[in-house]
Amino acid sequence: MTEVPFPPLDETHPDTEGVLVTWYVADGETVATGQLLADVQVEKVDAEVTAPTGGTIRLLAGEGSELRQGALIARIE
Amino acid sequence: MTQTDTRSQAPETGRRLNTAKAMVEAIAQEMERDPAVIYLGEDVGPYGGIFSSTTGLQERFGKDRVIDTPISETAFIGMAVGAATEGMRPIAELMFADFMGVCLDQIYNHMAKIHYFSGGNVTVPMVLTTAVGGGYSDGGQHSQTLWGTFAHLPGMKVVVPATPADAKGLMTAAVRDDSPVVYMFHKGVMGLPWMAKNPRSVDVVPEGEYVVPIGKARTARAGTDVSVVTLSLSVHHALDVADKLAGEGIDAEVLDLRSLVPLDRTAILESVGKTGRLVVVDEDYHSFGLSGEVTATVADEDPTLLHAPVQRVTMPDIPIPYAHGLEYAVLPRHERIEAAIRKVLA
Repeated sequence: MTEVPFPPLDETHPDTEGVLVTWYVADGETVATGQLLADVQVEKVDAEVTAPTGGTIRLLAGEGSELRQGALIARIE
Repeated sequence: MTQTDTRSQAPETGRRLNTAKAMVEAIAQEMERDPAVIYLGEDVGPYGGIFSSTTGLQERFGKDRVIDTPISETAFIGMAVGAATEGMRPIAELMFADFMGVCLDQIYNHMAKIHYFSGGNVTVPMVLTTAVGGGYSDGGQHSQTLWGTFAHLPGMKVVVPATPADAKGLMTAAVRDDSPVVYMFHKGVMGLPWMAKNPRSVDVVPEGEYVVPIGKARTARAGTDVSVVTLSLSVHHALDVADKLAGEGIDAEVLDLRSLVPLDRTAILESVGKTGRLVVVDEDYHSFGLSGEVTATVADEDPTLLHAPVQRVTMPDIPIPYAHGLEYAVLPRHERIEAAIRKVLA
């Protein structure tokens, strides 16, 4: 099992919250290594989250969620 | 021939992208395939385009092929025209279609006419990409669609993708076309994190090479009671309204034109021939534009196809307001589309 965290975009302010903007995969979908999973945003900076490994993805946060950087957003089983 | 979209019926499997990423993927694949393809415009380099039309391209292809230009649209569109006549296949980005006013001579007297003036001996295989549309309080000189103006001037193809898959397929077709193609992307369909959330801006996009032929409309939703002929972001609104009205037993067909030039008049006539009722939804100005052209297409061919007067849901002939409430009042949004459908069926 692999955990997928909200990426740390603001390293000088690690407590800054960001927004999970878009999921490109659905809960329970099979994903491949490197596949685009989500767009996230911290302040006005956007970033993509890609799959660190392949498997079945379980989404742990909804679109629009405000989350601390590093928070768990998905698991890949 | 109309192409019917089967994606909405099939289970949603396959790789999904938003419209901006789908557009970038097509540009990257064409740059990979053909060294003559280059991209130039304002803030298209490290910034990746203010509407994310070029994210990551300069990093991948270098500053010689993805070129940040000074703020002179006449200069860099003129450069693209010259490069195209000499064998390159440039893509030039006009940041907002509203800025056409400062560079129109290069567009309609050069880009669009050289092929004709040379007796067909010189081609201008370039793409002019430009962001269009309102809905986010950017004022009357940053919110226009203006596709009717480009389409009115002969010599340019004009394509307007509404979906991520079409953004990819029409970009690929535009780059490979030997005619100048104006590629107009609505900011509200790009799926950008800082814009209003639009679930229809994320969808399955074919991987690998994908071409959507220019000039073929797409039946976004098949129906029997009324033809809603539209394009760009208005396709998304029309589908929302059609889904809502389906609960009342109203079966609306939504035709996504995808391109103004060439206009798929056959698809318009086939749809109206089936339903007998026509609603045109066009975010461009009401008068002298696409909504009148679509209506004339039916009147020219066979006005007896129509069982009721045509309803046009358009932008009033005024500058687009900055104030959010006023802007939403003039945009062709859900309430006005629904009212037009009910009126044409009354």
